[in-house]
Amino acid sequence: MTVEICFESLVKQYGKQAAVDQLTANVQSGRITGFLGPNGAGKSTTLRCLVGLASPTSGSAKIQGKNYREIDNPLGLVGTVLDSRGFHPALSGKKNLKVVAAAAGISDSRIDEVLELVELTEAAKKRVKNYSLGMKQRLSLAAAILGDPQILILDEPANGLDPAGIAWLRKFLRNLADRGRTILVSSHQLAEMQNTVDDVLIINRGKLIASGSMREVIGDGTLEEAFLKLTEVR
Amino acid sequence: MASLLKSEWRKFVYVRANWGLLLAATFISTLSVIVTPFILEADGAGELLGLGIDQQPAVDATYANGISGYVFAIVLGILMMAGEFRHGTAVATFLTAPKRGIVLTAKLMMAIVGGMLLMVISTGISLIGGYFVLLGFEDAAQPSENLFVNTMLAAAVGGAVLAVIGIAIGTLVRNQMLAIVGALVYLFIIDPLLLALWPDTGKWLPSGLITAMLSIDISAPQLGFDTTDYLPAITATLVLLGYGVVFAAVAIATSLRRDID
Repeated sequence: MTVEICFESLVKQYGKQAAVDQLTANVQSGRITGFLGPNGAGKSTTLRCLVGLASPTSGSAKIQGKNYREIDNPLGLVGTVLDSRGFHPALSGKKNLKVVAAAAGISDSRIDEVLELVELTEAAKKRVKNYSLGMKQRLSLAAAILGDPQILILDEPANGLDPAGIAWLRKFLRNLADRGRTILVSSHQLAEMQNTVDDVLIINRGKLIASGSMREVIGDGTLEEAFLKLTEVR
Repeated sequence: MASLLKSEWRKFVYVRANWGLLLAATFISTLSVIVTPFILEADGAGELLGLGIDQQPAVDATYANGISGYVFAIVLGILMMAGEFRHGTAVATFLTAPKRGIVLTAKLMMAIVGGMLLMVISTGISLIGGYFVLLGFEDAAQPSENLFVNTMLAAAVGGAVLAVIGIAIGTLVRNQMLAIVGALVYLFIIDPLLLALWPDTGKWLPSGLITAMLSIDISAPQLGFDTTDYLPAITATLVLLGYGVVFAAVAIATSLRRDID
């Protein structure tokens, strides 16, 4: 198995506060890796450093050995969902995707395909400001898979989804992983993550406190028990 | 670069606020042009201003109001950049194209096209409106020989440079409302005040430079307005373009350095 994503001694400081502190971890190809931690643990900051939106103070976060900013046309390699913002509220879902597709040199016909995949075809012409949070999450996923990428980086993709939406997301991610995609997903929904992910990275206060396969991390218990135990001790 | 320009063009065309700016610029410019002859011909106004519509400077001044929409070019630039941070679309933009210098270059090029289009359309329509209104004034003088060409050139260059300045302001001040209010306060209050109180300084600033590009000599000391001492049109154009280059460099340097929220 090859390493697709590699964090090496990653540090991100805001003033004197280290949001990410010497994080070293790998994400293997073709697996779903859960990225867990309490609120403020540094998950989003880590992912923002990984996709070039924030500059690391020191260390590195690389995808297939490259910094994100060095990748030519990254949407063909990496799809990213960071939050449900990122779309112009006055434009329809389809027009928002047309803006992204044009920038990435992706044909407009692919837009209809991804809208169908995330089951948003009927709402394609509705303005995004009239979307529910769950619909915005689906639109974010549609944007992430526009370039049919090998790697997906998802920050709290289940936020705003109802139980049926969460079940849909699980199936959606598993289907992508079965087709060899590498997925790094952060979430607070531990029971859901236990059913979805293969590997786990847990961070607290910016530091990595556990990593490995789901079985290695949780042993005979549940992910929630392991998570609470690990984050309480520190 | 071609794909980024296509994306920026789609943003420019899809966002209705941009069409609103074009309408507003056209309305303000046309209104400014078509009411000026009536003001100049109102009882006593000609004596007060020292100008009548039967004099060439008065007709030139009428048409010169056609560039009144330039304030909307700077707002366009601010919306194009600060709007990305307001709506969070900057995240999608820089995820799709993480080489920020290239993204900013595409955005600046689109701002140049957008600012030019906005000003050329609004100014052109206002000049046509002014022409037909002046037909109703039998004693109206003819405008200076190159007035229309100079006005359209000033509109195109001024629109492009102000939109570029707007992009730079949008990278520096990511709060869209604050950026727009700041730009409007500058253009409506600070710039005219400097022009009126310290014309030797004011003539080097955007409003004075755009007016200088029109190459018209209007002296209305009663209004604290005298263009005879403004820079030559060529010098004014070069200085204005210099502003554009400096602000474009600031926009690119700022976007390279800062994290995207």
